[in-house]
Amino acid sequence: MRQRSLIAITAALAAGALTLTACGSRDEDGGGSSDSGNGGTTVVIGVDAPLTGDLSALGLGIKNSVDLAAKTANKEKFVEGVTFKIEALDDQAQPSSGQQNASTLVADKDVLGVVGPLNSSVAESMQRVFNDAKLVQVSPANTGPSLSQGQDWQTSKKRPYESYFRTSTTDAIQGPFAAQYLYNDSKKRKVFVIDDKKTYGAGLAGTFTAEFKKLGGKVVGTEHINPDAKDFSAVATKVKSSGADVVYYGGEYPQAGPLSKQIKAAGSKVPLVGGDGIYDPTFISLAGKGSDGDLATSVGVPLDQLDSAKKFTADYKAAGYKEDFAAYGGYSYDAAWSIIEAVKKVVDANDGKLPDDARAKVVEAMSGVSFDGVTGKVSYDEFGDTTNKQLTVYAVKNGAWEPVKSGTYTG
Amino acid sequence: MNELPQQLVNGLLLGSMYGLVAIGYTMVYGIVQLINFAHGEIFMTGAFGAITVYLYVLPDGTSMAIALPLMILGAMLVATTVAVGAERFAYRPLRGAPRLAPLITAIGLSLALQQAVWAWYPDARSAIEFPQIDGGPFEIGNVTIQTGDVFLLLAAPLSMAILAYFVMKTRTGRGMQATAQDPDTAKLMGVNTDRIIVVAFALGAIFAAVGGVAYGLKYGQIDFRMGFILGLKAFTAAVLGGIGNIYGAMLGGIVLGIAEALSTAYIADIPGLDQFGSQSWADVWAFVLLILVLLFRPQGLLGERVADRA
Amino acid sequence: MSGVGPVEPGEGTHVQDAPPAPLPQRGPLAGHFERHRRVVLGALITSAVLAGSGYLYVTRPRPEPPPAPPYPNQVTDIAYLRPGTTSSNTASRGFTFEVEVITESGPPVTVTRISQPYAGLSVTSSPRTPFRTKAGSPRKITVTLRVTECGNVPRNAGLPFLDVTLRNTRAIQVHSFILGPQYAQDLSRALQVACSNKFG
Repeated sequence: MRQRSLIAITAALAAGALTLTACGSRDEDGGGSSDSGNGGTTVVIGVDAPLTGDLSALGLGIKNSVDLAAKTANKEKFVEGVTFKIEALDDQAQPSSGQQNASTLVADKDVLGVVGPLNSSVAESMQRVFNDAKLVQVSPANTGPSLSQGQDWQTSKKRPYESYFRTSTTDAIQGPFAAQYLYNDSKKRKVFVIDDKKTYGAGLAGTFTAEFKKLGGKVVGTEHINPDAKDFSAVATKVKSSGADVVYYGGEYPQAGPLSKQIKAAGSKVPLVGGDGIYDPTFISLAGKGSDGDLATSVGVPLDQLDSAKKFTADYKAAGYKEDFAAYGGYSYDAAWSIIEAVKKVVDANDGKLPDDARAKVVEAMSGVSFDGVTGKVSYDEFGDTTNKQLTVYAVKNGAWEPVKSGTYTG
Repeated sequence: MNELPQQLVNGLLLGSMYGLVAIGYTMVYGIVQLINFAHGEIFMTGAFGAITVYLYVLPDGTSMAIALPLMILGAMLVATTVAVGAERFAYRPLRGAPRLAPLITAIGLSLALQQAVWAWYPDARSAIEFPQIDGGPFEIGNVTIQTGDVFLLLAAPLSMAILAYFVMKTRTGRGMQATAQDPDTAKLMGVNTDRIIVVAFALGAIFAAVGGVAYGLKYGQIDFRMGFILGLKAFTAAVLGGIGNIYGAMLGGIVLGIAEALSTAYIADIPGLDQFGSQSWADVWAFVLLILVLLFRPQGLLGERVADRA
Repeated sequence: MSGVGPVEPGEGTHVQDAPPAPLPQRGPLAGHFERHRRVVLGALITSAVLAGSGYLYVTRPRPEPPPAPPYPNQVTDIAYLRPGTTSSNTASRGFTFEVEVITESGPPVTVTRISQPYAGLSVTSSPRTPFRTKAGSPRKITVTLRVTECGNVPRNAGLPFLDVTLRNTRAIQVHSFILGPQYAQDLSRALQVACSNKFG
């Protein structure tokens, strides 16, 4: 009998392990970014993003852009007597790693602000840790509305964490914007909605679906995929037989790319549409040639339309980073810079020295921050959301993302 | 439109891949009663072997007609080397140890191989694009089959046929059967059991390598974690089909694949179950099936004997 | 002999009268130069001066070219003010509201077209497009949406928007302005009234 129970144990182990797909490792090349010859105090800006794994293209862009902001501040001696350093931790897009990283950053007394994370689900696990430590957190990429406006944001907005800020527009605008574009501009009427059940994906699909239905569109099918899976052929077949004329996907490009490819391969030539999570060149390379015509909404307007972004683009190039700054580069730079601005305010108000309760003071100073950043005017509203609410629809044309239409939320 | 034929084909394809990997689990288990959890990673290294041949050995722009056989060879070479190395250095020293020791070793080896590829293979920190076979999809009735899937549809039965021939007809194959039935007696009869064990690992790795190439062709990308989930599914398939039985491995794989496809497609249509019908629930249904099968046939679908030789 | 010095002249030697030095043998070109020396020198100097001044001109410390004006969608803001009051005629078949068009900086922005994406509505504005807004002087615009077909009207849109074509010296852009929840509420209320009246 020993053998049979061994099989039973290992089968149980296997079933358990299926849910534990994380494998811990950490990228150590974070810090040491700045010339420490500036003297005086060192202020560390933490970075938390997926630096390895499927989403690393976005994560490394975030890390490099924050690094660039720190270096720029040091070079300009923006805050007299303060040298900025970054400490980048890898969360592998896993909430558990994110929370560990948050604790690590809180424990480092030099950390006065954190940029990140990429994923809304990771942010949920970090917010309380940072809030308890009164450590400011600015996400360049989280779009889940509940992060800043509470679980009941649709009915009564209430800010859950005073230390949480973000430079990206929320899904409360992004989803409906996509719905409006698809219904009115693309004249789509039958949508098949797919999400990955994560905070970001499910939330985005939800706001999209609500608006698309209000406009008179029809949801001909819904599906939730498993983010660990690579085989979506069964889902693709369902899409084909549903007769949908467009697919909306709430999730990120590692799944969206293969999904788009497999949907087209199954013989249904309808565009796949997603949010900022699929707006990355990797999506196109994963989705292959069939992805022409796929759409994505993303936060902000194209960086090449912003004069403020020209300097950023040139500096980023000059700094010689290996990786592209990707979808959130400008937002990450602005997120880091708003922390730098807040530190400057705190230092200036305290006779050029960091006060003892610097963290709490920085959180307070954040709400008053206002400057012309890479992505336009940067300031935060009473929920910690950016006041610059712009969105752009991009389409895949000849293997690259091309802007199609931009919008501003002025409500 | 009736999507049933297409969903069956989807499941068949997915299941064939599970089956190719499951062969390795079942053979090693059949002979040394070891669940080689690193087998998923052997499948992964096979795929990386193939991409290495394509990216770094062959000149750019080699046509797939020439490249594919060489890539398969490269995949087999790498996978076999890793598997035989694992047997020699990780498992053989533990042959007399309690059974949990090699099992834990296998799990450790699985993580080590993943991290090694992650750390040392160039650009392996994110997914690597796998070359594709040109040519449009094939339509048979209202079933669409991708060009990349044709490889899998041919490779899986062919591999099974070769394996069956090898095990049934060759001297080494009969030696394997003998070792599986009773290693001590086999040894007394002059079978070199050490060699047989190495052959079992190598054969499993060869089929996993074919599976790795099929995976790359089917999904267009490979990454260092691709073997983890797929390895667990293949192990499940091996248990479902009856661990120790090579036909059971393939059958278990196909049953599992079809179960996943059909549960994605149809569970949501059952009144009251629409919450549990999406693809994210497919794994759950696959395990429900596994539990049901094991309740009524603890030895698995084709398992004749769960070797209770104590 | 060089380096030794002149040999002391011996007796009976004397310096002969040197024969007249022959004209140096030069080529015809040199002769040409000889004849046109002034012209050539003049041309050389002129070209040197030209080259020098050209170099100086090219490398002169130049004032930075004036920065290109910003893209119009970056400096324009449209804010929803309130539902407008118009003749009962339009109110029954549509929705009139006031917006404020603000140009924050840069050259004036011309609004060349205001439209909205719904099939069952048409848009007019007062003042009519095109109109200009200068930086620092916001303009109040009255926009009227007329229902042309109730079947295609978004009765309950959550984030309806206006598509506005903006032009300045930099570019022409179509930009969507999402006017916010108040606009959405007022719009759907007005449209529900408009469409129920039509059939009621």
